[in-house]
Amino acid sequence: MIRWLWHGLAAPRLTSRYPRRAEPAPAGFRGRAVLAGAPSREQAAAAAAACLPGALAADGARLRLDAARCIGCGLCVRAVSGGPLRMEPRLELAARERASLLATSPPEAAERGRELPPPRRLPRPLRRSIHIRHVDTGSDGAIEQEIAALLNPYYDMQRLGLFFTATPRHADVLLVTGPVTAAMEGYLLRTYEAMPEPRLVVAAGTDACSGGIWSGPETRGGVDSVLPVDVYVPGDPPPPIALLHGLLLAAGRAAPAGPPVAEGAR
Amino acid sequence: MSELRVEAMAAAELSRRAAAQVAQGARLAGLFALPRGAELELTALLFAGGELVGLRAAVAPGDGYPSLTRRVPAAHWYEREIHDLHGIVPAGHPRLEPLVRHADGDLLAERGGLEHRGHERLGGPGVFLIPYGPVRSGVFEAAQFLVQTSGEDVAYCAQRLFFKRRGAERRICEVPLEQAVLVAERVSGTASVAHAIAFAQAVEALAAIEAPPRARAARSLLAELERLHNHTEVIVRECEDAALTVAQASFAALKERLHRLAAELTGSRFLRGVVVPGGIACDLEPDALARLPAALAEWRRDYAASLGLLMRTDSFLDRLITAGPLSEADARDFACVGPVARASGVDLDVRRDLPYAAYDPGAIEPPLGRDGDAMARLEVRFAEIEASLALAGQLAASLPAGPLSLPLPPLAREEAVGCAEAPRGELVYYLRAAGERALAACRIRTPSLANFGVFNRLFEGQVLTDFAFIEHSLGLSPAGCDR
Repeated sequence: MIRWLWHGLAAPRLTSRYPRRAEPAPAGFRGRAVLAGAPSREQAAAAAAACLPGALAADGARLRLDAARCIGCGLCVRAVSGGPLRMEPRLELAARERASLLATSPPEAAERGRELPPPRRLPRPLRRSIHIRHVDTGSDGAIEQEIAALLNPYYDMQRLGLFFTATPRHADVLLVTGPVTAAMEGYLLRTYEAMPEPRLVVAAGTDACSGGIWSGPETRGGVDSVLPVDVYVPGDPPPPIALLHGLLLAAGRAAPAGPPVAEGAR
Repeated sequence: MSELRVEAMAAAELSRRAAAQVAQGARLAGLFALPRGAELELTALLFAGGELVGLRAAVAPGDGYPSLTRRVPAAHWYEREIHDLHGIVPAGHPRLEPLVRHADGDLLAERGGLEHRGHERLGGPGVFLIPYGPVRSGVFEAAQFLVQTSGEDVAYCAQRLFFKRRGAERRICEVPLEQAVLVAERVSGTASVAHAIAFAQAVEALAAIEAPPRARAARSLLAELERLHNHTEVIVRECEDAALTVAQASFAALKERLHRLAAELTGSRFLRGVVVPGGIACDLEPDALARLPAALAEWRRDYAASLGLLMRTDSFLDRLITAGPLSEADARDFACVGPVARASGVDLDVRRDLPYAAYDPGAIEPPLGRDGDAMARLEVRFAEIEASLALAGQLAASLPAGPLSLPLPPLAREEAVGCAEAPRGELVYYLRAAGERALAACRIRTPSLANFGVFNRLFEGQVLTDFAFIEHSLGLSPAGCDR
């Protein structure tokens, strides 16, 4: 054991300073697709046809993008090279409402100045120590490893007062992965019912946010078809920083991501 | 990969022939039913004489055929799945209870226990049941383990899966052919590369093309990187179970480094979006590729330092040695695959037995264990990590130049299989074409599906406190099993 102690002490400090210091995504990282300009009619149709989860919809020469459905595959950008879409290498993608993850290009009049209902928040005294219960409702298994990575020395989420708890009775946040399969729906509801108020639900991963690529009788099409969702963390899977951002957003300690529109085109 | 050679026969004959072939050393690599017209077709995949062959028989819906399970135990889950999904009765199956189907609102506590699923409920003083999952303490995929114990010894353990069934096999056929690989990548998200390779190879076999050399080498490179992060994950979990905090942190940091290398190389921490039917969709990032051999050498140095320490930690070794042994006979009877089978002395590796991508079958030497316990499974993975590091380093340093992919011609053949050695073992995709540009049917035999059936046998005579060690030494993927 003393050898492990020495090994640990000799190891360099790896821990991220996030959120106090920004954590950039690696260059070329495919975070999500964003709208970068007005498409032609053909480009809009081609991009929508290339999108498996239906994140893109074409309406004449207008493209509608739902970031809660985007799996970051990049097929749309390849289908309309150099045009109205690009990939955004971004890690912080979480938002409080599905509506704020929607965008159209060119923008629709209704989009500007839209009023959103006030979000549910944890009371101030609870924001510094958040206990999280995770439930898998049919993920592909990668996101569980990204969630577990929050405990590795790079992210060390406990430094931010975030903890996993075994029982839903001690949990403030329900972290749900997967599109909600028929077999898991009952277990998800029972876990939620076992949590004390106030409680928040975080849908982690594109499939939890919207059902993602899955459709059919086996799945329910996302957590919000079963439970009220307070924070959406799209990503396929969302990397650890994206999950941290989502959890801090749930705690009221981070700002939400904007709609999927490129920096220059906002 | 190749077009599947199939031999048609009567349903009664299929069981007899499959059993006879298995008795002569063949391995059952899958058994599934598919509709054809008004009939159903039963297909058994056997690995025999260095190739995969199919035995096929037509069965009317609602009809039956003589069960294979009594003679070939490896068929037990396949036959239950076929019964659940298609209503074909394997006559004489020893335990034909639901496997894949979960009744609506099928909550264990509400239904008063296990009886409705046919699991044995033990009697005796002080015997109680621990329904472990599908919502378990910690961050785990949904699966349920029903452990009956009188306190220390595990008297009976039963695994229940298929909570995560998403209909992947149907979805692959529904979506446009050029997008189907995205579904394959997400069947088991930690083995995206292996799934994409097996699927792509099956499509390429249908179209009678072969991916160009650069694509094949890149596929092998990514598959080995994927093996590295999956095997490292198993070490992390075992260290966590042994409460070795520093060891867990060390290996978790090593795993994180692999994901960061993956993100630099492909834009995805799980190496997604590269492998497609016909080749690779995009080239590997040139700077990251150039740095990769040095980065892997540095990774190996830090890994070796932590591993050396781990192998001198008695409290760790004590928990793993003799835990959850799988005999070679069981591993063969249940047709286990991957590190689990190799740790029990079964010599198999798709990279050598059905060479694909850029693998040289002469250079692949599967490490074999003797004891079949959790330690042997871990040691097999240590050896595979070394082999994967060497292979990935070589491939990264000598990626051949040339085109990335070939355009996919119309699908010329009717059915084909694609196999890959996923981190968890042999992965088989069976595809049937519908016309020139679509798929009619898909069946995926994942390594986790092959290995989960033997789960309960590992707990015979074991103690409850070793549960996590044994479970994690198998390194299975419920997502892959459930599909």
